[in-house]
Amino acid sequence: MTTSPFGSVARSAVLALGLGSLLSVSASAAPRTVTTPVEGLRDASPRVHALVGGRIVVAPGKVIENGTLVLRDGVVEAVGADVKAPADARVWDVTGKTLYAGFIESGTALFLPDTWKPAAPTTAGDAPSATPPPAAPRTGTHSWNSRVTPERAASRVLTPDAKGVEKLRALGFTTANVAPARGIFRGTGALVSTGTAGFNGGVVRPSTAQELAFEFGSFVDRTYPTSLMGAMALVRQTLLDAQWYAAAQAAYAAHPAGRERPEANESLAALGAVVAGAQPVLFEISDELDVPRVLGLAAEFKLHVALRGSGTEYRVRDVLASAKVPVVLPLDFPEVPEVEVAERAVDIQLHELQHWELAPANAARLVEAGVPIAFTTAKLRKPETEFWTRVRQTVTRGLAPDAALAALTTTPAGLLGVGATQGTLEAGRAGNVVVASGDLFQADDAAIELVWVDGDPFEQEAWERLDARGTWSLAWTGGKGPAELVISGTKPGRLKVKAGDKELAASTPDKRTLLLFAPAGLFGATGGTVRLSVTGEGGALTGTGELPDGTALRWTAKRTAPFKPEAPKPAVAEKFFASSGVYPAGAYGRAALPEQPAVLLVRNATIWTSGPAGNLESADLLVRAGKIEAVGQNLAAPAGATVIDATGKHVTPGLIDCHSHTAVYRGINEGASAVTVEVRVGDVIDPTDIGLYRQLAGGTTTSNVLHGSANPMGGQNQVIKLRWGAGAEGMKFAGAKPGVKFALGENVVRANFGAARTRYPMSRMGVPEIMLDTFNQAREYGAAWEAFRAGRTALAPRRDLRLEAALEILQGERLIHIHSYRADEILAFIRLAEQLHLNVATFQHVLEGYKVAPEIARIGAGGSTFSDWWGYKFEVFDAIPYNGALMARAGVNVSFNSDDDELARRLNTEAAKAVKYGGIAPVEALKFVTINPARQLRIDDRVGSLEPGKDADFVIWNGSPLSTMARPDSTWIDGRRYFGRDDDRQLRASAATERAALLQKALAERQKALTRPAGPGGGGDAPPDPGHYHYHTDEHGEFRAIYHNGGNTHTCSAQDGGRA
Amino acid sequence: MKTTNPFALGLIVGAQSCCARSVSMLLGRGKSAPLLLFAAMALSATASTITPAKRPAAPVLLQGGDVHTVSGAVRPKTDLLLVDGKIAAVGGTISAPAGTQVIDVTGKRIYPGFIAASSPLGLEEIASVRATVDTKEIGTITPNVRTQVAFNPDSETIPVARANGVLTVHTRPSAAGDTGQPRGLIAGQSALMRLDGWTWEDMTVRARVGLHVYWPPMPAHRGPPPPPGARDAYKDARTSLQQAFDTARAYLTAKAGPPAATDLRWEAMIPALQGEQPVFVHADDIKQISAALDWAREEKLRMILVGGRDAWRVADRLKAADIPVIIDGTHNLPLRRDDGYDDVYANAGRLHAAGVRFCIANTGDTKGGSANARNLPYEAAMAAAFGLPPAEALKAITLYPAQILGVGAELGSIEPGKRATLIVTDGDPLEIPTQVEQAFIDGAPIQLRSRHTDLYDKYRQRYGK
Repeated sequence: MTTSPFGSVARSAVLALGLGSLLSVSASAAPRTVTTPVEGLRDASPRVHALVGGRIVVAPGKVIENGTLVLRDGVVEAVGADVKAPADARVWDVTGKTLYAGFIESGTALFLPDTWKPAAPTTAGDAPSATPPPAAPRTGTHSWNSRVTPERAASRVLTPDAKGVEKLRALGFTTANVAPARGIFRGTGALVSTGTAGFNGGVVRPSTAQELAFEFGSFVDRTYPTSLMGAMALVRQTLLDAQWYAAAQAAYAAHPAGRERPEANESLAALGAVVAGAQPVLFEISDELDVPRVLGLAAEFKLHVALRGSGTEYRVRDVLASAKVPVVLPLDFPEVPEVEVAERAVDIQLHELQHWELAPANAARLVEAGVPIAFTTAKLRKPETEFWTRVRQTVTRGLAPDAALAALTTTPAGLLGVGATQGTLEAGRAGNVVVASGDLFQADDAAIELVWVDGDPFEQEAWERLDARGTWSLAWTGGKGPAELVISGTKPGRLKVKAGDKELAASTPDKRTLLLFAPAGLFGATGGTVRLSVTGEGGALTGTGELPDGTALRWTAKRTAPFKPEAPKPAVAEKFFASSGVYPAGAYGRAALPEQPAVLLVRNATIWTSGPAGNLESADLLVRAGKIEAVGQNLAAPAGATVIDATGKHVTPGLIDCHSHTAVYRGINEGASAVTVEVRVGDVIDPTDIGLYRQLAGGTTTSNVLHGSANPMGGQNQVIKLRWGAGAEGMKFAGAKPGVKFALGENVVRANFGAARTRYPMSRMGVPEIMLDTFNQAREYGAAWEAFRAGRTALAPRRDLRLEAALEILQGERLIHIHSYRADEILAFIRLAEQLHLNVATFQHVLEGYKVAPEIARIGAGGSTFSDWWGYKFEVFDAIPYNGALMARAGVNVSFNSDDDELARRLNTEAAKAVKYGGIAPVEALKFVTINPARQLRIDDRVGSLEPGKDADFVIWNGSPLSTMARPDSTWIDGRRYFGRDDDRQLRASAATERAALLQKALAERQKALTRPAGPGGGGDAPPDPGHYHYHTDEHGEFRAIYHNGGNTHTCSAQDGGRA
Repeated sequence: MKTTNPFALGLIVGAQSCCARSVSMLLGRGKSAPLLLFAAMALSATASTITPAKRPAAPVLLQGGDVHTVSGAVRPKTDLLLVDGKIAAVGGTISAPAGTQVIDVTGKRIYPGFIAASSPLGLEEIASVRATVDTKEIGTITPNVRTQVAFNPDSETIPVARANGVLTVHTRPSAAGDTGQPRGLIAGQSALMRLDGWTWEDMTVRARVGLHVYWPPMPAHRGPPPPPGARDAYKDARTSLQQAFDTARAYLTAKAGPPAATDLRWEAMIPALQGEQPVFVHADDIKQISAALDWAREEKLRMILVGGRDAWRVADRLKAADIPVIIDGTHNLPLRRDDGYDDVYANAGRLHAAGVRFCIANTGDTKGGSANARNLPYEAAMAAAFGLPPAEALKAITLYPAQILGVGAELGSIEPGKRATLIVTDGDPLEIPTQVEQAFIDGAPIQLRSRHTDLYDKYRQRYGK
C-alpha cells in the first residue's frame, strides 16, 4: 500500500512489530490481492492477531467470558473459550475488556461530494422542508425531474475523507453505508469499511439500498413538486414508469421489428430492481405520519422497504409492529425545554414536553413492539461526544443492552444485505472488532480502545492509557516526599490526588504522562510548588521532579491497591410522566375513539332536521349503533338506551364545511404546474391538526378538504369527518364521491405574482384553453387503453396518473369543485362544462354568482360561497352578502363555507347571514351549512339532515343555532361524542396535571444546567437570555408541519391584517 | 366606478409582502391574493356615490322606541329628541317644539352607534392592491404620521360599515414591514373618525388620539440554537424602540434650551411622553404584554393595550396598573395548540370579571379590517356566548371604546348632551338577522345604501324582482 487516502493510523504499529516476521513467513498469512501495481517495496506485514482474555460478545445474547478471538487475513478465524492463540499470531492482551463485532453505520454522508450530502433547508420564507434540487448537471439519459436520480450510485463518487473516517472509527464503526441524501429518488448507497485499504479494498457492497424521501422544492424554485402531495404523486408516477419501462424494453428487445423504440432512460432502468422487489428501499421520513404513507406505497408497489426514522415513531408503533419494517433511528433527542421562565414556558406545548421525555425511549418502545431498529449518528451535531451517551440513554430508558447492540450490528447487517459477513464475531465473519474497556451500552466510563477493520488494528486514544487511579507507594531520591499517594476520580483523565490530607493538582498532558503539582510542605520545603512528572503503564511508574529551589528529584511508584470505584447506584427505573397511549400526542389526545352507545336517545329538544320534517319542537332523536333510527315527538326509550335530556336545547345536523384546508400539511398547493390533477389531498391529511378539534367545538363534523387554487386544474380533494383522535385514514369519509379542485381568475393567472409570470395561462383567456387541451389528451389516453384492452395493441400504454384523473373527471366519476369569482370566468367555464358534459359539483367562492345564477343553476352546479367576505382582492370587489340568497332564489343549491380555520368554528352564525341579507327563512338558512353542502358533495344519503337511516352526526346547542349567543354543548359523529364541554374541561385538566409533572422534571434538569458553574470543567450552559433567538419550524403558513399551533394560514401576524 | 377598465400601466409599485410567510401565499388558495407586485389599478376612480347626510335644521323626535341607553337601564317606549346634532332629551313622552320632525319608531329599538375601536377603515380599499392601501409608512419609527390625512371619505367600505351600525371608527396606522425589512415599531398617530362627511376634516372627531406602538414579536423558543453571530431580532427591535423614546426625551429636554432644529418624529412624541396622550401598545402574547407593561411603567406612559389575546393571563397586572384593553377581535384563533378552544372567546368575560377596563374591536384576523368592520357586533356577541354578560358586550362596542378613546362624554351612550350618533333597529343588534333601519350621525340621518345594496338591487332586476 503506497498511498492511502485514509491516513495510516495503524501502519506504523504493524510495521514495527512485523520486522521479526520477515524471516519466517507464515504459510497462511498472505497479503491482500490488489490489482494496483506496487511502487517500491510491497507491504507483506503479517495479519494474524489473537485477542486474548477478553469478554467476547460474539452476537447479541451470545457471550464468551475470558475467550480468545483469532483474526487471520482480515477474517475471524476462530473464537472461543478454548481457542489457543496461534503461534504466528501477534497476541493482544485484552484481559478485562469487552469485545464486540464492529459496528455498522446505517447511513452516512461521509465520502460523498457536497452536492450529494443532505441539503440545508432554504432561506426564510420558504417551506421549512423545502430543499434545493440536486445541483450537479445531469448528463446522459435520465428522468425529467431533477429530484428523481435513482441512477446515482454512491460507489461511483466515493471521495476520501481521512478525518471523517477516523472519527467514525473512533466510535466503533467498522463499516458505513454511504447514502445519497438529496432528492426524492436519491440513488443507491454503498457499504464501505472504515479501514485504510482504499475504496477498492474497502467497498463491502457497492449497492445496498435505494434511498428515498418526500422532498419538494420551495415555492421560489417553481419546480415540480412543491408540496408533499406532489412528492407523493411523483413517487407513484415514477414507480409506475419504472414498471412500464421494464416491460416496454423487454417487449422491444423481444420483437424490435415493426415497433417504435421506447425511450432510453437510465433513471427508470435503475429502478428496475426496486420495482422487482430485488433491491431494498430506505425511505427517510419526516414525521410519524410518513409511516403509514410509506407503508402504503410499499404495499401498492410491493417494495422491500425500511425507514429512516424521525424519532417520533413510538407514537405509531402499532402500525410499525404489524408491518415489521425495520427503522433506522437517529439519536437527536430534544434538549431540555427552557421551562424556567413561566411566561415563556406557556409556549412549550404538552406534546413537546412529552417528546422531550419519550424521545430516548423511542428505541425501547419500538423493540418492545417487535420492530427491528438500527442506530445512526446522522442528525447528531457532535456525534463524537453525543453518540454513545445517547445510545446509553436509550438503555436507561428501557432498551435491553443486547437490543442496542443488535441495532448497531445484526439488524443493519441484515438490512444492508451483509448478514453473512458482518454483524457478529463468529468464525468466518469479517475481521471487524471493537475492544472496549467495559460494557459500552451500560457503563458511562467505558471507552473504545481498539478497533479492527478487516483484520487491521487501529489503536484508539484510550488504549494503553495510563490509568493512575489507585494507591501508590513512593520511593524518592534527591529529596524526601510523601510515602503514599491515593489517586481517585470518575475517569482516567479527571483525577483527584491526595497525599494524606493534602491535595495535589493533577494533569494528563498525554496518555502516558501524569503531571502533579504538590505543595512544597509535603517535601519539607516552605513556599512554592513542587513539580512532578511520572510516566509508565501498569503497576509501576517512574518519575522526575523539581523542588522550589531547583533541586532535582527522582522517584518511583508502585501500585499497592487498585482504585475502587464507588459502587454504582442501583439503577432506578426511569419514571415517565408523559402519557403515550393517546393520539395525537399532547393535549386533547385520545386513547381511543369515543364510545358509541348501542342506543342513544336525545330528548325533548328543538330539532332542526334540515330534512322534509323541518323543525320539530319538543322532539326526540333516537340513534342506534351510530345511525339515526327515528326523529319525532315522544319516542319511547328502548331498554338500555343512553338518554340525554336536551330540554331547552337545540339539535342540528353536524355542520358541513364545503371548503376547507384544515388538516392539509406540507403544502396546500402543488403550484409549479398548471395541471396537477394527479396530486391527492387524501395523501397528506394531518390528523394532529388542532383545527379539527376546535372546529368540532364549533359544531362542524364534515369538511371538504381542498387543494389550493394556484392552478386551473389542481389536486384531488378529500372529504373527511372530523374524527379527532383517529389517524389520517380514519378521518376519511368512506364512500364520498371523489372530486378535484379547479380554479379560475387571479390566482391561476398569477395576477398578483409580479413580473415573473412564465406559467401558462396568464389571462382568463388561456384558462379554458388549457382545460380543453388537457381533456383532449385525456380522451386520447382513454382511447389508447381501450385499444389495448380490446387487443388491438400489444403493449399496455404507459399509465399516466394525471391523464387518468382527467379522464375520471371527463367521465363524470370525479366531481369538479371550481374556485371562481367573476361572472365572466364562471360563464366561460359553464360553456366549457356544457361542451364536455362535465360534472360540476360546486362553484367555490363564486362571489359574482349572483350575476349569472340562472346559468349556474341550469348545469346543476352548486354554489359554495362566503356569507359576506369581500374586498380582499380586486376580483371580489363586487362581492355582496346577498349572493347566497340571490343564487338560492335562482335555483342554485347554495352553501356557505369557511376556507378558513377560524371561520370553520362558527358556520352556524354564517348561516344566519342568509337571513339578514336577502331574507332566507331561518330553517332554509341553516341548510346552507347542513344538507345543501351534503348535496353538493353527494353525501346527502349519509349526512346533512336528521333523518332515519343517516349517520348520527349532530350537534346539541345551548340555544338557537342561528343565534350569536349559541354554542355547542356537544358534537357527535357516528353516534360518538367527539366533543363535549365537560369532556373538554376534563381533557384540559388532565393535560394540566401531566404538564405540571413534566415541567417539574424538566425544571430539575434546567436547574442543574443553569446553576452548574460555567468555564473550564464546569460545562454549564449560559443562562438563557429572555427574548432569545428563535427558529420557527412548525408554522410556515401553508407549509406547516404536524403538531402546529393551529394559527390561520392566511394571516401574517395578529397585528397585521394580512388578509389574503 | 370603472373597475372594469383598469389603467394597466404596468407600474411596479414595490414588494408588498407583510411577512415571510406570505411568500407561500403566492401560490394562491381560496382567497389568497398575495400582496406582491401588480399594476396600479385606477382604483382612485372608486368613489362611493352616496351623498353625505344633511343635518336637519329642525329638531328631530324619535318617538316611542325602546331606548337602550347603554349607560343606564333600557327605557321602553321612550322619546328621544335630537337638536343641533346632539341628544337634547330622553324621556317617556317629550312634547316637541314646533317644527320638530317626528319619526315614529314604535316597536323599534334605539342604540348608540357602534365604535370600531381599532381599524384600518378609510385607509385601505382592497387589501391586496397596494395602490389602495395607505395603512403604513416606511421605516420602523414613524410617530409623526397621521391617519386622518389619508382617510378616504369616499371609500366604498364606509357605507358598508355604517349599514350595520358602525358609525365611528378609530383609524390607526399599521406596523410597517415588508419581507426583508424590519417590522414597524412606532407607527404613528390615530384619529377618531365619524363615518359621514364630505372631507376627512368634516369626519375627524379627534385627531391624534394616541401614539401607536407595535410591540416586536417574541416568538416561542424552539428548534436548534441559531448560528453564531445571528442577530436577535427581538433584542434589536427592543433597543430601537428604547432609543426612540430616549431620543425623544432628550429632544424634549433640549427644547427648554436655545432654539434647535425641529425633528418631526420626536416632536410628535411629546404629548405621549408628557402623559397628555395615550400610547396604544399592540401586543397579543403574554411575553409581549408583560414586557410592554414593564416598559410603560418605567417610561411613565399612559398605556392602552391593543390585541390582548393573552390579556386574561395577566388580568391582575392590568387591573393593578389600570391599563385598558382593546380586545382585537373574538373571531380569532387561540395562540397556541394547548390553549383552550374558547380562550379567545372567553377573554373579555375573564377581563370583565377581573375588573379590567376593556372594549372589543375587530381587526385582528382575516375577516376584520375595512371590508367587514360591519361584523363588529358579532365579535362582541361571541364574548357574550362565552361568559361576558350581554349588556357588557353591548357596552364593549359603544360606551367602553368611547371612554377608552377619551370621548366618553360625547359618544357611546344615549344621554342628553351627547352626540346624536345612534341607530334604530328591529331587534337586538348583537343578533345577525337584526336589521339596522335608520342611523344618525351627529343628528343627521344617513343613507344605509351601499355598493352591496346597489348591486343587489341591480341584479334583482335581472331576475325580475
